[in-house]
Amino acid sequence: MLTHNFAVYGAKILGELAGSVAYFPFWWYSRGLAALMSRLKRFVINQEKSLAFFVWLKNIHRPMYGQYDWQGRVISFFIRLAQVIIRGLIMVFWLFFALAVCLFWIILPFFIFYEIYFQIT
Amino acid sequence: MTEQNIQFIICPVCDGSGKNKYNLACSNCSGMGVGTFFGGTFYYWGLRMGIAVIKLNRLKKKADLLVNLFAFVVGLIGLLALFWWVWANSSGGNIEDLFFWKRKHWLILVFWTSLLFDMFVFYRLSEAAAAKQKIKKNSGEKTVKTDELPNNWKELKQFKSKIDVSSGMGNGAMGVIEDSYIIARRLKHKRVEIMHLFFSLFKDKSVFALFSRLNVDQEKLIRKIKERISKITANGKTELSVEVKKALIEAYLRAMELKQNEVNPLNLVLPCQSRDKVLAEILYDLEIDRDKIINCLAWFRINDKMLERYRTYRKMAGFKPSNNMDRAYTSVATPVLNHLADDLTIAAKWGRLSFSVARDKEIKDIFQQFQSGHTGVILVGEDGVGKNSVVEAIAQLMVEEAVPKIIQDKRLVKLDVSRLVSGATASQAQERLLTIIDEVVRAGNIILYIDNIENIVGISSGGEESLDLSEVLVGAIERGSIFCLATATTRNYVKYIEDTPLGNATAKIKINEPEGNQAIQIIESKIGPLEAKYKVYFSYDSLENVIKLSQRYMHDKYLPAKAVELLELIAVKVSQSKGEWGVVSKDDIARAVSEATGIPISKVTAKESDILLNMEDKIHQRMINQEEAVSMVASSLRRARAQLTGNKRPIASFLFLGPTGVGKTELAKTVADIYFGDEKSMVRVDMSEYQHADSVKKMIGSAQGTRGYLTEAVRKAPFSLILLDEFEKAHPDILNLFLQVMDDGRLTDGQGRTIDFTNSIIISTSNAGAVYIQNEVAAGTDIEKIKEVLINEKLNKIMRPELINRFDGVIVFKPLSEGNVLDITRLMLAKIGKTLEKKGIRMRAEDGGIKILAGEGYDPKFGARPLRRLLQDKVENVIADKILAGELERRDTVVIDDNAEVKVEKGEKL
Repeated sequence: MLTHNFAVYGAKILGELAGSVAYFPFWWYSRGLAALMSRLKRFVINQEKSLAFFVWLKNIHRPMYGQYDWQGRVISFFIRLAQVIIRGLIMVFWLFFALAVCLFWIILPFFIFYEIYFQIT
Repeated sequence: MTEQNIQFIICPVCDGSGKNKYNLACSNCSGMGVGTFFGGTFYYWGLRMGIAVIKLNRLKKKADLLVNLFAFVVGLIGLLALFWWVWANSSGGNIEDLFFWKRKHWLILVFWTSLLFDMFVFYRLSEAAAAKQKIKKNSGEKTVKTDELPNNWKELKQFKSKIDVSSGMGNGAMGVIEDSYIIARRLKHKRVEIMHLFFSLFKDKSVFALFSRLNVDQEKLIRKIKERISKITANGKTELSVEVKKALIEAYLRAMELKQNEVNPLNLVLPCQSRDKVLAEILYDLEIDRDKIINCLAWFRINDKMLERYRTYRKMAGFKPSNNMDRAYTSVATPVLNHLADDLTIAAKWGRLSFSVARDKEIKDIFQQFQSGHTGVILVGEDGVGKNSVVEAIAQLMVEEAVPKIIQDKRLVKLDVSRLVSGATASQAQERLLTIIDEVVRAGNIILYIDNIENIVGISSGGEESLDLSEVLVGAIERGSIFCLATATTRNYVKYIEDTPLGNATAKIKINEPEGNQAIQIIESKIGPLEAKYKVYFSYDSLENVIKLSQRYMHDKYLPAKAVELLELIAVKVSQSKGEWGVVSKDDIARAVSEATGIPISKVTAKESDILLNMEDKIHQRMINQEEAVSMVASSLRRARAQLTGNKRPIASFLFLGPTGVGKTELAKTVADIYFGDEKSMVRVDMSEYQHADSVKKMIGSAQGTRGYLTEAVRKAPFSLILLDEFEKAHPDILNLFLQVMDDGRLTDGQGRTIDFTNSIIISTSNAGAVYIQNEVAAGTDIEKIKEVLINEKLNKIMRPELINRFDGVIVFKPLSEGNVLDITRLMLAKIGKTLEKKGIRMRAEDGGIKILAGEGYDPKFGARPLRRLLQDKVENVIADKILAGELERRDTVVIDDNAEVKVEKGEKL
């Protein structure tokens, strides 16, 4: 029985370890990147949820506090517009933040290798 | 899922071992050996155990750890190198000196290189986290046509959907399996049996904790298991036995069913128990049965789940607005409502409400009512069954927004009725309520919750025509313009709400008192905070006992509230008496119940089996003669209780036949005393008072609020003996009621409540055929024969045969002989003697006197009944006179002499 052979299993373990190391660069740009992106996506969605940006956008013509008279509507519209702009800006900031993190992930290995090259030359 | 409904398929060639005689994989099943189908997938154990494999596996785990540790250390060194460089270069004061990416230095080279190791650590940890999901999901709902499944091993080998359950074992579970293999191998056992597996389970902390909760003598248990293991004789090359493989597959399926990521050691406990009968017996001897293990495992799971729920809950709660507005700011401020109500969603957002468990069904029902267009829902249930906690659970779900769309982004607001009506006249209260309803309608994001809604029924602002307060609300509910949740107790619902406009406008959802396992699991969810607060430790037995005893002896309150109250009380006491982290035992619970109810502790802790086994002796301490009757009652009770599983009938029911004064009622009283702990645990109904058809109302009550004599008594004291005197005299309609009681063990009273009779003993007495019995006994006929004739010829004329058949036993009492009466006289005199003893007076009766009294007191027609009267006249009255006259003092002796005269023997003067 091969499974009972110590040498074979020992070699298998070493092989698995080596494989794990060899897989690392590929992982960085495949599963690792995908995992990072899905995490960033969740982050952006959560930011939207707590800012309620789309809720404000959707209700831009609906008066606030149930004030259905025309004064209420006018004031509401401008307040909501201001809210949408501010919340929109914050959203844009978070979007860029997520993008920056993503970009950082992609270029980090290249940058490190460049720096190492720079150090040794 | 139970072990019964998992059907295992075993390879007939290798008998499930998966190997052929050359120790190679069996060619018929390609080494699978044994497995089962579940949800269209075949599950089997595929890992071939071997000492080398185990050692290498463990080596690999260590190697993995070392690699990670090494990479981590390198990463740390790099960071330190950078800091060192910055520290060394920071003296210049020029910021550009610190742009390390532009400088050249060997320390910086170390830093950049180490970053690669940091990335590597990140990679390894991410992959490890991703590998945590070891169990492949299989809902089991996937419909698979049976003809598509392979039906022989050859087809199975080609079958695609196969899972090797060894891939789902977590580190802990795998460690346990490996340990069991190592033990079996060291002992040179041919097979790893369940006992080996169970023994190695104890090394795991969680399993150890489980058995600590179960309050097991772990040393004893382990010793017994070791004994069993040492008796295993089959020697040879070690491999997993078929039973162990089955247990492992079962554990995998169980873990999958519970949506776990991987199989943990706790999952192995139940399969071990069910796969090895001897082990089950050993555990049973230590008072652990399957139900206990299941409930205790549920306890662990509930704790984990509550922790997990708390984490996701906190995350989600961050998104819920903490003010009165909806997320779009379209709702309206509600100043009056805010003044008179509490916002439950905000309370939930800040974590001020406790979690509720095991109420998913009721919550789903409520949501369904809302979704189907009912905007008013009333939760009906007794006080303390958890109506409020269901509502609080809804508030928490609303914070997570895990609710149907129509109630998302809304607030759940609890109207304080006492604040609504206090300091206001009826019309003011009405105006307030109208304002509130107005606000709620305009705001549009509010669900109104009114606890005990019956409080607003019947408040009206004056004249006959004016509206009731509740009808104001009804209008809004009927228009569908507000969502309203309310609660009411069952009694108040029937009395004030049912068939009123409010009742018609709302949907009723019944919240039942939790029973058995559900109650235990609800209590388990409350234990954590109690343990933390009072620094005590509850054993599982104590929880089981608190449910059992409170159900049995406390009838004015309901579960789970009464159990929680009791536990809190006990926690305080135990923390004071046993110190920090004292264990609350079964007996502590019994003591507390005894203190709360006044029932003697010996009765609370008495085992039913002991009572039943010694029944005859105990009865005969109080009763003379009637050996047949006594032994029949005792053995019927034993019979009835031995088959107690799933029994939905009263504990026992008897029909006592015989002339008056022979001890029928006395036997009933004695049974009540012995079985229920008190002669007073008896509901006595004189059936001759129920001779008309309309006496049914008197018996079970009516919808108008009259309470039934019988139903109310049994509801308040379900553990009691029901004595139906002169049974045959009642109206046939009433007798029919008992047909149902004896059949189903329950009765619905006039108010629609179901009264449970399964904890009562029913004894009916009848004088029917008394003369016949007397004559036949005098003629020396066998008692069995008398009974036969009685049932077949006398009784069936006055009672329907199916009713007679329902009784667990028809028992004929013999007329008393003179010898019996003599004994009864002695017994009664002894009773009088006992009361005198308290006054320090002794009593003695001569045989001649007793004979005279017995002769005078016995009447063939009335049995021993005149005897009591006679003793009253001739003995008790005389003694009383003597005491009053000062002739009889302490230390004197009362003597009943041979002429049955009462004399006094003076005691010693001090």
